[in-house]
Amino acid sequence: MFNQRVVKREGHQGDQAVVPEVVRRSRYPCRLTMYGDAPDVEVSIEEFETFALDRLQVLRAIEDAQLRAKGEDDMRKRISEALEKHMPSHTNRSKLLPRQLVGERRKDHVSHFILRLAFSRTEELRGWFLRYECALLKHRFQNADLAEKQELLSSAQLRLAHLSPADRDAKLGSASGFYAAQEQLFEVDFERVLDLVGRSQVVLRAGRAFVPQSEVAALLIHEFRHSLTQALAVCAKALPQMGEDERLLPLLQNLSNQTARSEYQSTGAAGAVTAESVPGLSDSFPLCMQHLHSQLARDRHLRHGGRMQLGLFLKGIGLGLQDALVFWRRAFSAMTDDQFQKGYAYNIRHNYGMEGKRADYTPYSCHRVIMSNPPGPGDHHGCPFRHFSAERLRAALHKDSLPDAEVREVADLAQAGHYQVACTRHLELRLHHRRQQTQQQPDADIRLSAVTSPNQYFDLCLGCTKPTHASATDTTTAAAILSGAPKSTTAIY
Amino acid sequence: MEMDDDRMQVDDGIDEISPMTLGHYYQHLFPHALYYKWLNYNGKLATTEFTHREFSFTIKDGIYLRYQSFKDSEEFQRELSRLSPSKIDIGAIFTAPPKHAKSLQPGVFKPVSKELVFDIDMTDYDEIRTCCQGGDICAKCWRFMTVAMHVVDRALREDFGFTKIMWAYSGRRGVHCWVCDERARKLDDAGRKAVAGYLSLIRGGAEQGKKVNLTQRSAQHPHIVRSLEIVEEYFEDVLLVDQEILLTRDRWTKVLNALPDEELRKTMDAQWSKRPDRSSVDKWSELIDAVDKRAAKKGSKFGLGTFERDLMLQMTYPRLDENVTTHVNHLLKSPFCIHPKTGRVCTPIAADQFDSFDPFTVPTLAQLLREVNETSSQSGSAAKSTSMAPYIGVFEDFVSTVLPTPVNSQPSLDF
Repeated sequence: MFNQRVVKREGHQGDQAVVPEVVRRSRYPCRLTMYGDAPDVEVSIEEFETFALDRLQVLRAIEDAQLRAKGEDDMRKRISEALEKHMPSHTNRSKLLPRQLVGERRKDHVSHFILRLAFSRTEELRGWFLRYECALLKHRFQNADLAEKQELLSSAQLRLAHLSPADRDAKLGSASGFYAAQEQLFEVDFERVLDLVGRSQVVLRAGRAFVPQSEVAALLIHEFRHSLTQALAVCAKALPQMGEDERLLPLLQNLSNQTARSEYQSTGAAGAVTAESVPGLSDSFPLCMQHLHSQLARDRHLRHGGRMQLGLFLKGIGLGLQDALVFWRRAFSAMTDDQFQKGYAYNIRHNYGMEGKRADYTPYSCHRVIMSNPPGPGDHHGCPFRHFSAERLRAALHKDSLPDAEVREVADLAQAGHYQVACTRHLELRLHHRRQQTQQQPDADIRLSAVTSPNQYFDLCLGCTKPTHASATDTTTAAAILSGAPKSTTAIY
Repeated sequence: MEMDDDRMQVDDGIDEISPMTLGHYYQHLFPHALYYKWLNYNGKLATTEFTHREFSFTIKDGIYLRYQSFKDSEEFQRELSRLSPSKIDIGAIFTAPPKHAKSLQPGVFKPVSKELVFDIDMTDYDEIRTCCQGGDICAKCWRFMTVAMHVVDRALREDFGFTKIMWAYSGRRGVHCWVCDERARKLDDAGRKAVAGYLSLIRGGAEQGKKVNLTQRSAQHPHIVRSLEIVEEYFEDVLLVDQEILLTRDRWTKVLNALPDEELRKTMDAQWSKRPDRSSVDKWSELIDAVDKRAAKKGSKFGLGTFERDLMLQMTYPRLDENVTTHVNHLLKSPFCIHPKTGRVCTPIAADQFDSFDPFTVPTLAQLLREVNETSSQSGSAAKSTSMAPYIGVFEDFVSTVLPTPVNSQPSLDF
């Protein structure tokens, strides 16, 4: 049972010595933690709910920040604000009462574990939780003071051996120049810094990675991710036993339902889609799918990445399995029936959940198209706003007969890294022109919620006679995202 | 047993790839003992490395059988002879024999380990090579594979510390790499993705003009520095002399598209259009001179100053299929099977043979069966008296590095 001791403040002097001492002897001497031990405290049901919801707000703010932030400083600012608002935590040298300090840390500790339970249920939820908890720890570590960093590093037991200058020369030779001369280096097995290895940010020698001081956070996060992954798997198994306390399960369910992770559900706006109707509908495809579709027509073939991206998209708009088989068979006009059956038909059926483990694959979201499986030579999948060179993108945008200024606007957005916003803006402009041509409300500007999935784009585009007018206060519109409007004000364009 | 059992006559369809000819191959030529020792990672008793390993067979008219597994080498040999698959793939080692996968609870049957593998396919070079396209290869474009093997092999050995590496010819138009160190086999998907990421440099799909974009810092990475040295050794010969990458307007346009400077691009295009017949060697040196002059004038404009280096890499650096490397449960064509389209054996390539290996001298199934006919030796040493012998030798050397004790090197009934 957690024992709180209240100490009255007697004045400023002498306080500095007193506050740390009391805190140091409490359950929570340090602000930062890797959540190694489960909390051994009692919490009220109200605290249980409030703590968890507050932490969830923080994690969702991080998710949001990753989507909208313009650069690292902006990101840091957004996360700090969210923390300050929902889950503040102060250092040992702040002027807070020990009771308050410990209270903050208790909330941090307990809320993490509640969310662990809530998010261990499915692989998707676990992935979400893992991603943003790692981001949170990374943020806190990077913004902590030196003493706190040291404390966390030593408690994490990273087993870091640092390299003396002599060793550095002996082991690295000329490669030592890759790092700043005065930077401290640590030598670890490469498996512990996979992220740095994959991005060629560290020198490797015989399976050992040389990690600079500045990247020690990466090591820390990697260890954290590893242990949290395992902990979540354990939690998932323990979850059925929680049924005993009826108050908790509904709360946990509610928590995990609050994330914006659910995949886009197609509205079926196109009705029944047949193999013949696909070309006609392609006008309403997003740029990525138009590109794949035209390349398919040109080459009479598509590589695997393209087949998956386009194939699942078509499934999402309503192309059934039989029609899909016809569509692809006709598209691959240069091959024999035999070749098609053996090489491709199986995979199409697989995508519809008719083979193998019978998983019903869902169409890719924009996030997935942009982030996973970048196109290599000969590939046409991916997101044009991200994966095309600036010129190619402009050329592709010109095909819609949009005026130069508008093409430039969209291209600039893409250049700045706002791929989805660029795509959404492109859609808005296309719809606007379409409207003008059909004389329907030609002057009304179109504002759409930021596109998060190619299928959503399709539905929006197809339903353009009655577009989803985002309300003026909807902060998810492309315009709002660009202007960085905070949630409560009117979106200005 | 009659002597004639081993011999196939011409009218038996010796020139075809059929279940019969394949069956003959698997029975008399396939190096079973060595193969088993390799995958078992142990000389004698079957371990879970072998019994829990997934194989897949392609039989008859393309019927694909997954989740094949065997309790020992004898069972493997029997099934191989019985089914005579046209293709064998090796998959991961699982938590239970893959044969029993369907009867297990979902979530219980999972991949545990597998060799770290790489697949380099010549079709990924189609946008660069001018001599061939698609499934065809020739001595000129094969040299891209040579460069790829040098670059990747050195990185795997020097940077990652792997030592048990076997390269293999895919039988038609590429090479595979099998990294068999225990540390490599234990890597999870994230680890494999990281290794693939470390080795990948060419980024960008068909719509990307310039695919190699190195920052000042990343260009200093020892792997890049070393790879550039290797690439520089081969670039002129392979790209300029053999491929003549700048000979025609179509070809030079592709190269000029990677120039970040519009004006320079137009100038070079005009200059070469006036006198198009000069060699790529000459045109290249003109291009580099022009780029250098331009870069000097505008101050070291990022992009021009590094153009030569980036472009050499873009055209010569290995193009890996990252998907093959990233997933533990990805299946890859087994060494020593016969390629269904060419009839060639998927033979190992020794580390000192990268430059000398010639895919056109790799024996075909028909050739081997003929050779078996011509020799009068007993069936036991059939393979060693055919053109397979040197390749078996390479495999033998490799397997001895993988096992704790040396392979029995007696004149051999035992391979």
